Amino acid sequence: MNCELAHERIVMAAYGELPDDAAHELDRHLVICAGCRGEREQLQALKLLAEAYPVAEPSANFIARSRLRLEEALDGLPPKTWLERFAQRAQNNFASMLSAPLAACLLLLIGAGAGSLGGYHIAQSRAAQVISKTPPKNALPESGDDVEVANISSIVREPNSEQVVVRYNRLVPTETKGSLDDRDIRQLLMLASDNSNPAGVRGDSVELLAAECRAGHACRGAGGIRDALMVALRYDRDEGVRLKALEGLQPYVAEDVRVRDAVLEALLNDSDPRIRTAAINMLEPVDADTSVRQVLHTVANSDRNPHIRLVSRQALSHVPDFQ
Amino acid sequence: MSATTAMDGPNRAQGRIQSRAPETELIREAQAGSRVAFDALVRQYEQQVLRLAMHLTGSEHDAEDIYQEAFLKAYRYIGNFRFECSFYTWIYRIVTNLCLDQLRRRKTRREDQAVIVDHSGDEIDVLSSVSDERAFSNPAKELDRKVLGSKIQEALAKLTPRERMVFELKHYQGLRLRTIGEMLNTTVESAKNTLFRATKKLRAQLAGLR
Repeated sequence: MNCELAHERIVMAAYGELPDDAAHELDRHLVICAGCRGEREQLQALKLLAEAYPVAEPSANFIARSRLRLEEALDGLPPKTWLERFAQRAQNNFASMLSAPLAACLLLLIGAGAGSLGGYHIAQSRAAQVISKTPPKNALPESGDDVEVANISSIVREPNSEQVVVRYNRLVPTETKGSLDDRDIRQLLMLASDNSNPAGVRGDSVELLAAECRAGHACRGAGGIRDALMVALRYDRDEGVRLKALEGLQPYVAEDVRVRDAVLEALLNDSDPRIRTAAINMLEPVDADTSVRQVLHTVANSDRNPHIRLVSRQALSHVPDFQ
Repeated sequence: MSATTAMDGPNRAQGRIQSRAPETELIREAQAGSRVAFDALVRQYEQQVLRLAMHLTGSEHDAEDIYQEAFLKAYRYIGNFRFECSFYTWIYRIVTNLCLDQLRRRKTRREDQAVIVDHSGDEIDVLSSVSDERAFSNPAKELDRKVLGSKIQEALAKLTPRERMVFELKHYQGLRLRTIGEMLNTTVESAKNTLFRATKKLRAQLAGLR
């Protein structure tokens, strides 16, 4: 506590206006500060001096005299008419009402706010009840049904809410029936040959497509069955599917350079020796294509697999027999 | 603090609380136009009003004028009293404002307030009205007291009207600073600061007397 504050508190303490905690703090300061102790003594002296001008009680005569004069003055006042009294009462009521609008406005705002909030919550809860009772069109079926979720595309949580929006794609099992010549059936078979499908499905679809190509049924044109078989030959994970695709492409090795290249790639890169051997056997009747001869030479000289080297040499030995 | 400052003593406060309900009835009746009710209210507060006015103005004549004007105003405007504060605070607010006006007029006129002037115009030394319990007073001491009293009055007259009022209400009338703030329509902090300034000024002016 500094002395300036102490001086103020000394005055307050002298007149009984200092709280107890502040008084205690002041006492502690006065113990160590002689200047402030002197200040307190001076104030006490002032209070004593001030008593030299005491407050006099008015005498009874003085009071009576004053009261009499007042009563004479009051008697001389004209009485208030009923209109004056009414006006005064109205003024008082109006004065009371002046403070009412603010209170009324506040009450209105609070009431409106509470009502809106309550209504919003009630509407929300009702909406939630309706949603829970009425299954949505696209709701997930109960367990036991055949519908599957294909994938989840997005998940969004509504702010300040327990509600979550999940967008997903469904798999709806469907079946169709038709001829292998049917365009839609062929489209589905080509889709079935994709690597994302199970190996059994891929094998069945490639086998059917290969049979179509061997039979020469509309296996031409870009994006057709031939292309699907070449993709299966190059990329399918299953060697059985690749072998079936290779067998399906056999009719087109001589006439289609793309098929020939796919077969040569299989010869060079395929991991399965059966497929590589089948590729060599498919190339045998092909004309003396420089790329074919070069690949056969390369494989015959440097391939790690001795059987492949042998078969390649045998194929090269029949070169004059190549078309 | 003198014995006359029984205003805020515990007994008087208790009495005020106990008389609050009847006082409320008196006020309502006075608002309705009852002269009897208003006279009863006057009797409850007239002594305090005269005491304050006398000590502040140092003149019975001025005190009586303030008394008259204060209660006439109260009678005229009692209909506006809405019980937002006590009637005690309300009537004192009227009195203090009238006393402040009087002090401000005196500041401009620079009247000598060394003595009290009674209704007949005779000057009376305020110290002579203080009863001396002893049968025989010491004339020398009596003179010293009178000189001291006039010095005190001179020092009080040098305060601003507001400082004078706050010091009067606090030191001589014994009111709480909160009550003083309500009467003067100011804050407790402001009343506190005014009291502090008043005591500081008085100490400086009366330094030679100690």
